[in-house]
Amino acid sequence: MRNPFKNTAYYIKEAKTIFKVDLSSNILSILSIGLIFFILTLILTGWLISNNIVEIIEKETEISIYYNEGLEKDSLDNLLTKIGNIQGIRDAKIVSEDESYDRMVDILGMEAKILNHFENNPFSSFIEVKIEMESLDHILNELEYFQDIDYIRDNRQVIDRLQGIISIIEVLGLILFLAIGICTMIIISHIIRQGIYNNRDEIYTLKLLGAPDGFIQLPFFMEGLFLTIIGGGIAGVLWFILIKLGYGNIYNLLPFMPLPHGDEFVWPVITFLTIFSTFVGIIGSRFGLKSIK
Amino acid sequence: MIKAEDVSLVYPDGTVGLKDVELHIEKGEFVYIIGPSGSGKTSFLKLLMGIEYPSSGSMQVLGQAIHKDEEKGIRNIRQQMGPVFQDFKLIRGRTALENVVLGMRFLNLPKAEIYFRAEEALQRVGLKHKKSSYVETLSWGQGQRVAIARAIARKPTMIIADEPTGNLDFDNAVNMLDLLTSLKEKDTTVIITTHATHLIDELDEGRILYVDNGNIDNLSREGAAL
Ligand SMILES: Nc1ncnc2c1ncn2[C@@H]1O[C@H](COP(=O)(O)OP(=O)(O)OP(=O)(O)O)[C@@H](O)[C@H]1O
Ligand SMILES: [Mg+2]
Repeated sequence: MRNPFKNTAYYIKEAKTIFKVDLSSNILSILSIGLIFFILTLILTGWLISNNIVEIIEKETEISIYYNEGLEKDSLDNLLTKIGNIQGIRDAKIVSEDESYDRMVDILGMEAKILNHFENNPFSSFIEVKIEMESLDHILNELEYFQDIDYIRDNRQVIDRLQGIISIIEVLGLILFLAIGICTMIIISHIIRQGIYNNRDEIYTLKLLGAPDGFIQLPFFMEGLFLTIIGGGIAGVLWFILIKLGYGNIYNLLPFMPLPHGDEFVWPVITFLTIFSTFVGIIGSRFGLKSIK
Repeated sequence: MIKAEDVSLVYPDGTVGLKDVELHIEKGEFVYIIGPSGSGKTSFLKLLMGIEYPSSGSMQVLGQAIHKDEEKGIRNIRQQMGPVFQDFKLIRGRTALENVVLGMRFLNLPKAEIYFRAEEALQRVGLKHKKSSYVETLSWGQGQRVAIARAIARKPTMIIADEPTGNLDFDNAVNMLDLLTSLKEKDTTVIITTHATHLIDELDEGRILYVDNGNIDNLSREGAAL
């Protein structure tokens, strides 16, 4: 065909006709695509949330360095600078004795009275170091060569366990995501094949009349795209309702979890759905058409 | 136009569809292919349209070799044909007009021309009043006429009708052949198959080919009266 866009209106109309001819099965297809996409967005949301939590936790990973109490101010500043220069350290600051005391009061809350039993402040000052979690080993190694350091509280067990959980979440999320993504693709190409199968007589007729393959296939391609995009839309709406109604409740129920705000996901998820459903529509349709030949 | 040289068609299961066919059909000829059921009439049309390929020998249609490696060329000659299939092969879920239009969509014609031709063709087969009816609601005979309209609207070089009189009683069969005869333009080749040998007496023009058991022979009109 000399002008590839000449028949665009026809292709769209034809895609609509194909849709109408197998109305009920197409509606079921849209619903199932919509639900699969919905599951996919849930996984994506879960992943985003856990990534967010991980990020927050990682940012808050700290170790405490207790130094030689008799250190002069100059040497202390020097130590602080040197620590700050180690790779993987975000921030190092001195927490004074008073501040440690106040913090403990905060932590103990009602029980803070017991602190009154001490004559002097039982806490010592220390250097609070915020680190990148994965650099822990490297940092500890470096710190070994520092004099003036008495003791390091590295929270190693907690950090190790956290890192384990994080990598499990990352791998699981990726696997689930890939599995469902591939699953969606397969289902869509099956649906398109089904559409082609339902219309095989018409397709054969068009072939006998000398219609080029592109002319025959384009409506099916568009129909596949149409199904996935509508499916994506349904998933988006379902997901949006869920976030608006359900997520707020979870958010309020778990005040101690560093949950990100639900609104933060709206754009990433909508963008993802749009791109992914178009992509899956195109790939799935192509597969569907290819496998029919 | 059509040149068959020593063509045989053997189906994958071993059935012989056509045997050693030698045949020339010239541009503008009106040809009847007559023969008993199972003799090979449709097989010959399948070769013409490139639906089957010769198992041996060579076949040329509109200058195009019928061969499995010639997909593109075969598509090209199909576009120059106006086939009327035995089962019509109309496209369900579309109106009569849409069916006729669909047969031209991919032929590089301006849209206005396509619709003009479609309306005109439906008019010529006497179905203009049914143009907006869905084809599945049409009667058998009306469906057949839509199929004919789709074929002629393409202004084909060659009209091919497989068994157009198949389900018709004698009078209607004669009317159908008259219709097809009247639709023939000067340069259009028309090929019609039928197993209704008794119709031959009614045909006063056209060449008759007799098919029997895969062999195709020219038939004199006297012979047909047998
Ligand atoms: N696809 C096929 N595979 C195997 N055998 C076939 C196939 N198509 C046709 N035949 C056989 O080839 C022979 C010729 O069939 P064909 O359809 O050409 O007959 P016909 O003359 O058109 O008959 P009718 O008048 O009943 O339409 C028959 O014996 C038929 O059974
Ligand atoms: Mg036949």
